[in-house]
Amino acid sequence: MPEKVLLIDDEKEFLTNLSERMELRGMQVKTAATADSAVSALDGNDYDAIVLDLQMPDMNGIEMLKAIKVRHPDMQVILLTGHATVEAGIQAMKLGAMDFMEKPADIDSLTEKIKKAQAKKMVIVEKRAADKVSDILSHKGW
Amino acid sequence: MNQSEAASREGLQFFGRVSASVSHEIKNVFAVINEAAGLIGDLTTMAERGMPIKPERLKRASDAIQGQIRRGDAIVKNMNAFAHSTDEDVREVNLGEILQLTLALTTRLADMKQIRLIAGHCEPVSLKANPFDLMRLLHSSIAAALDSLSAGDSLVVGVEPAGHGASFSLSAPGKDAPLANDEAFSALARSMGAAVSVDEASGTSLLRLRAAGTR
Repeated sequence: MPEKVLLIDDEKEFLTNLSERMELRGMQVKTAATADSAVSALDGNDYDAIVLDLQMPDMNGIEMLKAIKVRHPDMQVILLTGHATVEAGIQAMKLGAMDFMEKPADIDSLTEKIKKAQAKKMVIVEKRAADKVSDILSHKGW
Repeated sequence: MNQSEAASREGLQFFGRVSASVSHEIKNVFAVINEAAGLIGDLTTMAERGMPIKPERLKRASDAIQGQIRRGDAIVKNMNAFAHSTDEDVREVNLGEILQLTLALTTRLADMKQIRLIAGHCEPVSLKANPFDLMRLLHSSIAAALDSLSAGDSLVVGVEPAGHGASFSLSAPGKDAPLANDEAFSALARSMGAAVSVDEASGTSLLRLRAAGTR
C-alpha cells in the first residue's frame, strides 16, 4: 500500500523536488507551504506521516506539532530542521514527534522513517479495531 | 561584569545571532540543492533502465540548483562583508552600503514575522564610525521596530545626511512611528552615541548618528 505523506515546508522548491522524489518511490504526497494550506490539507485527509519543517515564517513547527497532535493524536510526525539541536529534538519527541531529522536529509533515511510511520499507524489502527470488537463482544455478553 | 565587558558580550551575542540566522539560511539552500540534485540522480537511474524522461523535469531541477547557488553566494558574500566589519575600529563608512547589508542580514528575521523589509530613500552619505557597532545599532533598531509591527506590515528604512552626521529613518506605512516609546532601544542608542526621535505627523522614527569624534 503506498504511503500517504503530507510535506509542510515554506521552501517551495524544496517541496517540489522532494515530493517528486518521494512519488518516484511510490508514495502519495501532498504539500503545504503555509500554515493555512497545511490545515486545509489535514482536514478530511488521512496520512501515514507528516514531514514538518521546524521553522517557517507563518508558523512555529513545535506549535504546529502540538496542534496536529491535539486533532490527530495518532498522526506520525517527522520533524525536519536546518539546525537539529539536542534540546529541540528532545522537546519534539516529548510532544509526540515520531522522529527528528536535520536538513539536508538523506532520502533513503527519510523513506525508511516514513515506512516505519505507516507500520506504526497500522498497528495503532488494528489495535483500535481489536479493542472495539472486544468491547462489543463484552457488552453483548458473548 | 563591567560596562566594557558587557558591551563586548552584547557585540558577541549580536555576531552569534547573525551567524546563526545565516547558517540556517545556508542549510535551507543545501536542502533544496540536495533534493534537486537527488531528483536528477533519480531521473538518470530511470533513464538507464530505459524509462522515458521528460527533459523539462531535468531542466527544472537544474534551474533550481543554479538558483540556489546564486542565493547561497549572495548569503555568503553578505556574511563575509559582515565578518570584515570588525577589521578596523573606526573608518569612513558608506551608510547606504551598511544599510543594504544590514537589511540583507535582517531579512530572515522579518520573513519569520511575515513583515516586508524595504530599503527606502537613501541619499549618499558617509561618516566616520565603527562599522560593526553601526550595524549592531541598525539591526537592533530594525528588530525593535519589527517587534512593534504585525504580519502583513512593511517596514521602510532609509538614510540621509543630517547636520554633521546622518540619520536613519524607519517607518511602517499606515502605522504609528515604529520606535515610539521604546525606552529599551532608546537607552541602547544613547549608550552607543546615537539618539532616537519621533516625527508623529509622518509616522517616522529617526535614528540620529554623529561622526565618531564629533560632539
